[in-house]
Amino acid sequence: MAQWGRRLNKNPTSVAAVALQAKTRPPVGHAKGGVHPSRTFIIVTAVVVVAVLALPWMHPGYRLLSFAVTTCLTAIVLYGMAVPFGQAGIMSLGYAGLMGFGAYTAAILSRDLGMNMWQAMPFSALVAALFAGLFGLPSLRISGHHFAIVTWVMCELLRITLVNGGKFTGAATGLDLPPIGKAFGLDMDKLANAYLLVAAFMLLCMLATYLIANSRFGRTLRSIRENEQLARAIGVNTDLLKLTAFMASGVFAGIAGDLQAYNFRHISPDLYGGAVSMYFALMVMLGGPRTLFGPLTGALIVTFLPEVMRIDPIDSRIAYGVALIAVIMLLPGGIIAVTERGYRWLAEAVRGARKGVSSPGADSSTA
Amino acid sequence: METFVQELVNSLSVASVIILMGIGVTLIFGLTGIINFAHGEFLMIGGIGVWVLVSNGMGYVPALLISVAFVALLGFLLERGLFQFTLPHPNNGFMASLGLSIVLQHIVIRIWNSFQKSIPEPFPGAWQIGEIRFIKMRVVVVLITAVIVAVTILTISRSRYGLALRASLADRQTAALMGIPIGRYITAVFAYGSAIAGLGGALMIALFPITPFVGSEMIMLGFAVSLIAGLGNVAGVVGAGLILGLVQGLSGAYGTPEWTTAYTYGLLIVILIFRPQGLFGGTMGPAIE
Repeated sequence: MAQWGRRLNKNPTSVAAVALQAKTRPPVGHAKGGVHPSRTFIIVTAVVVVAVLALPWMHPGYRLLSFAVTTCLTAIVLYGMAVPFGQAGIMSLGYAGLMGFGAYTAAILSRDLGMNMWQAMPFSALVAALFAGLFGLPSLRISGHHFAIVTWVMCELLRITLVNGGKFTGAATGLDLPPIGKAFGLDMDKLANAYLLVAAFMLLCMLATYLIANSRFGRTLRSIRENEQLARAIGVNTDLLKLTAFMASGVFAGIAGDLQAYNFRHISPDLYGGAVSMYFALMVMLGGPRTLFGPLTGALIVTFLPEVMRIDPIDSRIAYGVALIAVIMLLPGGIIAVTERGYRWLAEAVRGARKGVSSPGADSSTA
Repeated sequence: METFVQELVNSLSVASVIILMGIGVTLIFGLTGIINFAHGEFLMIGGIGVWVLVSNGMGYVPALLISVAFVALLGFLLERGLFQFTLPHPNNGFMASLGLSIVLQHIVIRIWNSFQKSIPEPFPGAWQIGEIRFIKMRVVVVLITAVIVAVTILTISRSRYGLALRASLADRQTAALMGIPIGRYITAVFAYGSAIAGLGGALMIALFPITPFVGSEMIMLGFAVSLIAGLGNVAGVVGAGLILGLVQGLSGAYGTPEWTTAYTYGLLIVILIFRPQGLFGGTMGPAIE
């Protein structure tokens, strides 16, 4: 990771390097231009973490809790997507497929070698990462719509292969898995404990995305989004960076697949087709791919909210499509990015008003 | 040998529907830069529209005309109401079209349901020439497609409207300076492409039963033919559509029908990676970004 950064800094006075640094936006969740996370950001994060972990003690019903598990599993994949999509700006429609590689690896290892969830997890992550690299390869030659379509098609190819895979993949009916068993002294057959496990993984993935976005690697990725040709011209190895970003996101998807397989205890090809991939991509866009809480919000709005409010699934799909169009047309950057901007504007307005009270006429330009 | 020729004849009608799909995709993308994912839903609505009218006692031909007109109107309204605002940012248009496709699909499922729908064969019977049977409806589908293709190609290559269209494809700004009303051309092409997709659906339901999910399958075939041909290349779409139709028909007849779609997708991946401009050469879309 350090390598790309060093290349960038080799000649810090070059005009191109200065231009590149000036163009990258402040990293996720940081105060404008600041290096340390702002106080509000820390408070919000703490509230979210506590809320996620405290859910089982708020007496949710079985139904609500199982939707919470699905939401967390989805959010893990979305946090993975946030790396290439949010940072490098490359949209791939293949993530359900990558999750599928993770899930099927877990199921096949369990059936043929008797591995449990923990033993299979590294393999799931590895297989999904390798295929994420493969899915990302076309991005070296094509971009935009073309790349999105190729990855969608690759995902569908996987689904077709799984359906036609005979006994090895369980064909259209899919495969069954054993229960998770015990972990950390907790009985994972209880849904509340299984939820805690998945939620913990989700929070870890959130942290990982945050660290990636604020690392040198993440900053260099943003240079691809802002101006790929310029980045390449000043010596950033964009090809390697893109593939690394895809493989990193593949690790997330693989882990999510492994967890999903063991939580659902039955997987089938329909869970991993192009349509599901499309929903993943749209959820990320809805929440906002560049913000820390965007992916979680997207997953919450699409998978959790309609179920909790008991909206008819078809109505909720319609509402979701309309919401998505509205977000793209009116709030580019996603719901969370706009909320953040609104909050900043409000905070500055309040500060301006306070200043106005203490020394009249001192600052009228802030708001 | 007879079965081979028979399969060739049969796959022509499948190819026709794919070609109708591809023409709309290629024209709309070529001019607006929008890859419209909801284009497949236009086809689905065209088919479902015919189903609704025919099952309420209307004849097939008037039902087809009304359904196509409705889809054209829908395309017009959506271009005016939605896609004209995404013209400067085709990527936003692409994402909005993903959302639109979900909305249209689920509205149809909501009003009717998600089950298969079919209508009685409008022109039953077949002509027998030697050993080969020509099912009447399939012949009708192929003939209508041939007419549409001929009209489209002639309009684009011979008429002054086609000339203006090609000019605005090549250089939108200069064309606008020459007094070509680009905005109107975009609206017209969008509505025309939608109508052709609707026609594809209306013809398709006379051949096979369709579900509200048919749009997402057909849109990928539409992308496949227009990308394989090279975007903006209508004649190329015909060639690519014939290739895909034959691949579909023949792999269904000989051997491995369950892998049919996989062949198409595999071909699409290979061509997009190694020949992004398509087999027969086209544009990569308008140069906006």
